[in-house]
Amino acid sequence: MLKGMRRLISKVHKLDPGHVLHMGTQAPQSLAAHLDSQVSGQSPRAISRTSENDPAKHEEQHEGQHYSLPLQDMKTIFPHGLPPRFVMQMKTFNEACLMVRKPALELLHHLKNTNFDHPAVRYVLYGEKGTGKTLSLCHIIHFCAKQDWLILHIPDGHLWVKNCQDLLQSTYNKQRFDQPLEASVWLKNFKTANERFLSQIKIQEKYVWNKRESVEKGSLLGEVVEQGITRVRNATDAVGIVLKELKRQSSLGIFRLLVAVDGVNALWGRTTLKREDKSPIAPEELALIYNLRKMVKNDWHGGAIVLTLSQTGSLFKPRRACLPQELLGKEGFDALDPFIPILVSNYNPKEFESCIQYYLENSWLQHEKAHTEEGKKELLFLSNANPGQLERLCAYL
Amino acid sequence: MAAPVMKTVRGWSDLALGVRSAVLRLPGLSQVRWSRYSPEYRDPQIDKEYYRKPLAEQTEEQKFELELRKTQLIKAAPATKTGSVFEDPLISKFTNMMMKGGNKVLARSLMTKEAWGVLVHWIPWQTLEAVKRKQFEKYHAASPEERAAIERNPYTIFHQALKNCEPVIGLVPILKGGHFYQVPVPLSDRRRRFMAMKWMITECREKKPRRMLMPEKLSQELLEAFHNQGPVIRRKHDMHKMAEANRALAHYRWW
Repeated sequence: MLKGMRRLISKVHKLDPGHVLHMGTQAPQSLAAHLDSQVSGQSPRAISRTSENDPAKHEEQHEGQHYSLPLQDMKTIFPHGLPPRFVMQMKTFNEACLMVRKPALELLHHLKNTNFDHPAVRYVLYGEKGTGKTLSLCHIIHFCAKQDWLILHIPDGHLWVKNCQDLLQSTYNKQRFDQPLEASVWLKNFKTANERFLSQIKIQEKYVWNKRESVEKGSLLGEVVEQGITRVRNATDAVGIVLKELKRQSSLGIFRLLVAVDGVNALWGRTTLKREDKSPIAPEELALIYNLRKMVKNDWHGGAIVLTLSQTGSLFKPRRACLPQELLGKEGFDALDPFIPILVSNYNPKEFESCIQYYLENSWLQHEKAHTEEGKKELLFLSNANPGQLERLCAYL
Repeated sequence: MAAPVMKTVRGWSDLALGVRSAVLRLPGLSQVRWSRYSPEYRDPQIDKEYYRKPLAEQTEEQKFELELRKTQLIKAAPATKTGSVFEDPLISKFTNMMMKGGNKVLARSLMTKEAWGVLVHWIPWQTLEAVKRKQFEKYHAASPEERAAIERNPYTIFHQALKNCEPVIGLVPILKGGHFYQVPVPLSDRRRRFMAMKWMITECREKKPRRMLMPEKLSQELLEAFHNQGPVIRRKHDMHKMAEANRALAHYRWW
């Protein structure tokens, strides 16, 4: 088992013996799955959809079924952060359906039972490529958005450590670097996702942008965001201010904060960015990464931190690496320790059947042989029940 | 010489295996295209259904065939011929014709199967996927009466489009009296299929806008050919018109 598990068990025993553990939830779930398989054995046709569209009410009986999200909500909650192929699928089918799966159900259970006076718990979704880590994260974000949490969603940590066209020296701290483009794009999307909170939260300190402009104590957070979007040079500093204020004020209890970072292993890896004299830049010298690291530390309370590891966009990591120790490295693992690791694996037979049924209902599988048993067996063999691989296979069939 | 030609004919017209004329190997006559296999090697049987038939249902000939195969030498099956239920010989042939420099991986990923490690994966990289998505868009935009008429299966669209592009009659240059005359001539099935595919591929390669990718252009052309419109159909009609115009030269044909 991972180092994190052992440390977590010892730390949680010290903190709160009543806190539900990762291991504890497995017993009732396996019982539910056993009952489920008995029921589904009697009705052989798998049911792929459920009418329960509220993530808060998803239980084990909904496991393997798809629930639909309203397209209007998708534009507000997910201006960024959805996998590109899922966006294509949404456009083709004219609907957005997510499958309810075990890792997400487990996370939902933990989130429903969070104690907001304790420090924020970190959950790390890890797994092989294409198993559904990002979509599980999106499920959690949908749940939190429905429960009126403030969502701080970084769609891909790797985008901030590579391919940056304009790196400026930071005005705040001479040692660090600013990334105006990435910061302003992120601020725009953050504004779309959290409109109502921007007019409610007030900042508690005075910040000076330059000789002529400053923002006073007590003004709205929305102003800081606007300043970051319009004045691109100060966008990185605006992001830093937003993160600092949100961390400080979530402990006061006005709102609940969810920090969702996809590809968190970018924060502790290497970057491909170079200074003018061709020397490499370490991640902590980028202001965005530095502030984000502070956010992911568990020294605040009043919310939760859900992270996803990703090898796909990562730099200088072998293709087969998927475990937290391999992708985060020693530095990252020690920084994130203790965390609750949640494995996202390939589809089990019930979920696979449900996925195929969903595609058949939407007439996505047009090949005549895809409806037969032979075809399904072949799809199972070719994709190895990997959700991403199955989606790509069904695309041309 | 005769052996490879025989092989392709068998592949297309589904003749019973084992019917094979003896290759003439006269001494002093070297063959231009020859196979490393000697004549006693038989072609492999890829079809799984052939082997799954229970003993009772087989006729005498088939039982004899099965027994014979146990003792005879069999050639190795090519890597592209899988026992998959989703395999389509026309798509494989088209992919081979699109292939450049032996890069089958690229040709296949453009046509059907996507490569797993592709970095830019928010545009459809495959022709069949692009065709399917376009048809789905049309389907959702159409009213319920029109929906029944919209075909969404990329394989039927592909087959129908290529069938629509096949010319009925072709032109062959024949040398008579020192001049070459374009003589109208009936074409075999094989030749017609080849011409349709060749025209489609050349059209897409040459008339493509600079930044457009091949799958997008191909999907466009296939959909137009499916509806009997577009440049490839026009080329077929041009061929027919030329043949009609050169009707008088038909006597130059001696076969």
